[in-house]
Amino acid sequence: MIGASLYILICSWRNRLRVRLRRLREPRYLLGAVVGAVYVYFAFLRRFRFSRSGSTRRGGGSLSPPAEFAAAGPALTGLGLLAGAAAAWLVPFNSSLLEFSDAETQFLFPAPVSRRSLIVHRLLRSQAGMLFTSAVIAVASPAFSGYLRLRVAIGVWLLLSTVRVYFTGVTLARARLAAGGTRTRRVAWLPLAILVAALATVGATLVTGYRPVPREGPDLLRLFAELTGHGAARLVLAPFTAVAWPLYAAWPQPYITSLFASASVLAACVVWVMLSDGAFQAATEVAADRRTERQVAESSSKYQTGARAWTLAPAGRAEFAIAWKSATQTLRSVDMRLVLRLCAILAGLTVAGMAIGNDNGFVAAAGGVAAGGALLWVLLAPQAIRLDLRADLEHLDLLKTWPVRPEAVVRGELIWPVTLVTAVAWGLMTIGIALSGAAFPQYRLGTRLGIGTAALILVPALALTQFTIHNAAALLFPAWVPLGTQRSRGLDAMGQRLITLGGTWIALIVMALPAAAAAGILWLALRFLIGPGAFVPAAAVAAAILVVETVVVTELLGPMYERLDALDVERAE
Amino acid sequence: MALALERFRRVYGSFTAVDDLTFSVRGGEIVGLIGPNGAGKTTTLRALAGILRPTSGTVQIDGHDLTGDPIEAKRRLAFMPDEPHLFEYLTVEEHLRLTGRLYQVPDIERRGAALLSELELTGKERSLPGELSRGMRQKVVIACGLVRDATTLLFDEPLTGLDPIGIRKMRETILSRGRAGAAILLSSHLLHLVEEICTRVIIMDRGRKVADGTFEELASRADLALAGSSLEQIFLKVTGRDRPEPQP
Repeated sequence: MIGASLYILICSWRNRLRVRLRRLREPRYLLGAVVGAVYVYFAFLRRFRFSRSGSTRRGGGSLSPPAEFAAAGPALTGLGLLAGAAAAWLVPFNSSLLEFSDAETQFLFPAPVSRRSLIVHRLLRSQAGMLFTSAVIAVASPAFSGYLRLRVAIGVWLLLSTVRVYFTGVTLARARLAAGGTRTRRVAWLPLAILVAALATVGATLVTGYRPVPREGPDLLRLFAELTGHGAARLVLAPFTAVAWPLYAAWPQPYITSLFASASVLAACVVWVMLSDGAFQAATEVAADRRTERQVAESSSKYQTGARAWTLAPAGRAEFAIAWKSATQTLRSVDMRLVLRLCAILAGLTVAGMAIGNDNGFVAAAGGVAAGGALLWVLLAPQAIRLDLRADLEHLDLLKTWPVRPEAVVRGELIWPVTLVTAVAWGLMTIGIALSGAAFPQYRLGTRLGIGTAALILVPALALTQFTIHNAAALLFPAWVPLGTQRSRGLDAMGQRLITLGGTWIALIVMALPAAAAAGILWLALRFLIGPGAFVPAAAVAAAILVVETVVVTELLGPMYERLDALDVERAE
Repeated sequence: MALALERFRRVYGSFTAVDDLTFSVRGGEIVGLIGPNGAGKTTTLRALAGILRPTSGTVQIDGHDLTGDPIEAKRRLAFMPDEPHLFEYLTVEEHLRLTGRLYQVPDIERRGAALLSELELTGKERSLPGELSRGMRQKVVIACGLVRDATTLLFDEPLTGLDPIGIRKMRETILSRGRAGAAILLSSHLLHLVEEICTRVIIMDRGRKVADGTFEELASRADLALAGSSLEQIFLKVTGRDRPEPQP
């Protein structure tokens, strides 16, 4: 079975890599990969270069933590692991190692392989994620040499593997607790009883040791090391300390010994899980049920049939039909009663804040937070709210059959998210303006109202511009758009995120420049005539320019959408 | 011609899925598109529906080029895929409304209600796709396709997921649409269905058209004379699957 498992894993990795490499034949994806590689180099690999030159000898680097921490570290981490190990019995979750994919269930469960083999298969499959996490933690660690990072990576991998396998054992043992047979249940309770006894032993030792003289700082750590370094506490903490030991041990002899100790604990956990395989069937059934429930919840229940949007008129522009579709999606996935209640509470608090007066610090803070929140919302929400083509590429097969101008499809996809972002921003800004007397007392009422009104005018245009840019990116790089719960992976996807982020900001600046210039000139011309009121026509002109620009961009995006092939969008692998 | 495909070719990377395919379907004709797995049937149908762009060649619907004049071409087209793609947050009724709005269908309420009744979806108007069985979702897709007066209907495995009553109704619907003058292209592996309702058959293999004609025309072809008169025998003969597998 191990051979078959390795075959599945290696083929999957190889084929996934092949798909990504094949995608690099297209210049746009190659560009993404180059940007991603440059980022990885400067963010991570470059540190290796500098760390190597800074290192005095190979493998001689050290984390050099304070002496007290170095002494108490393993026991402290071990105590945390012991507490976590006990808590694992109480949390209402099961190990993901017992969750099998649909393909695994279909191919492996009916196959003539033992349950232990299936556990081994899942253990092997989980290695990729754990190795990656270990590598990331090692790279991010403040080590001075690549060799020290390797040592950290091995230590982290052993720790993560042990935790994962242990939690699988807990899940299996919990399944056995519900099984018939007094002896089986007794055996299943045994590890929990041991853990509780261990916690009590360590707890009693620490309480007894700390009680006489209250201490702080380094003393606290020194005493902790002393108390847990001998006697019963040392004995019960030993397996947990061993797991964490490689992260603290010095090179070479202590580190090598620590690896053996940590690996022994991992091996013990693996043996425990293998011996618990009798509960495997029950546990995997629970996991499968949970997975199905989650899938059903993700696919249907998140939308509420009862929540009705408005009825679509039988005739009218296609743009609004598409906007209606997106609005219905939002209204069906959000509890509108909760939203209305929240709005009522915020309105009530705002009125109360205005009544309290301008001298109250809380009112001033609330006004500032609302204004700042509105600004952040307008700038960040278009990245996160994907109720546009980024989501609808999943339905491209259907969209492409519609007899609708491609430009209208693009514009229709923009209308609802812009409306949503604008509505929220306007709400926050209204609070900000209402409480601006307290939040910005240095400005006169006229100035505050002028700037506030100008901001209200600018918001929809700014949101529209950003959503247009995001949708342009989706049409330019459709394979980079993650569909549904899928997440794009790989160097090129990393580059894509950087390009999208950087590109969005650059495009926004480029598109905003003419608007800003025109608005600035108008404001300079009018400010002596109408004072702070000059902000309003300036904002109106800027908004109009941005809207015109986005209309032009959507006209350019139309042919791009028309040329988009259903196969350009990458489905879940 | 309601539907005309001229020298259509579609390439995926270095693989040619469909090559040099030319055929047409007249109004009132029900044409069966059959072929072994990987023959290029679905690629052809998806290209005819405007989902995939042809690498080369032209597709015309009622004289409107699908690439040059896509809106007018798509307005006349209804595609019923084998896999029902629906918006998971729109109800059955709202899918029909949306279709009516996008295709500018007059009297969508009445037409929709009649179709839902015909397809036995009455009572499911307010249901979301997640609450429907696969067969019902397939029926919703079919309802969205039939609710408008499309002159060209494309069916990809139209009976997949349907119950026996649904299958019978579907068969009747296809025949009645054909009699009403619609050009119908139907892809299916169910040869008895094709034999029963199609007036003509196109057989594809490895991306190419290997036979095209009525059953009588195919049966009377010199190279197929020995195959027999059933569509299955003709299919096996033209695709070269009638020969026994070489022994290892």
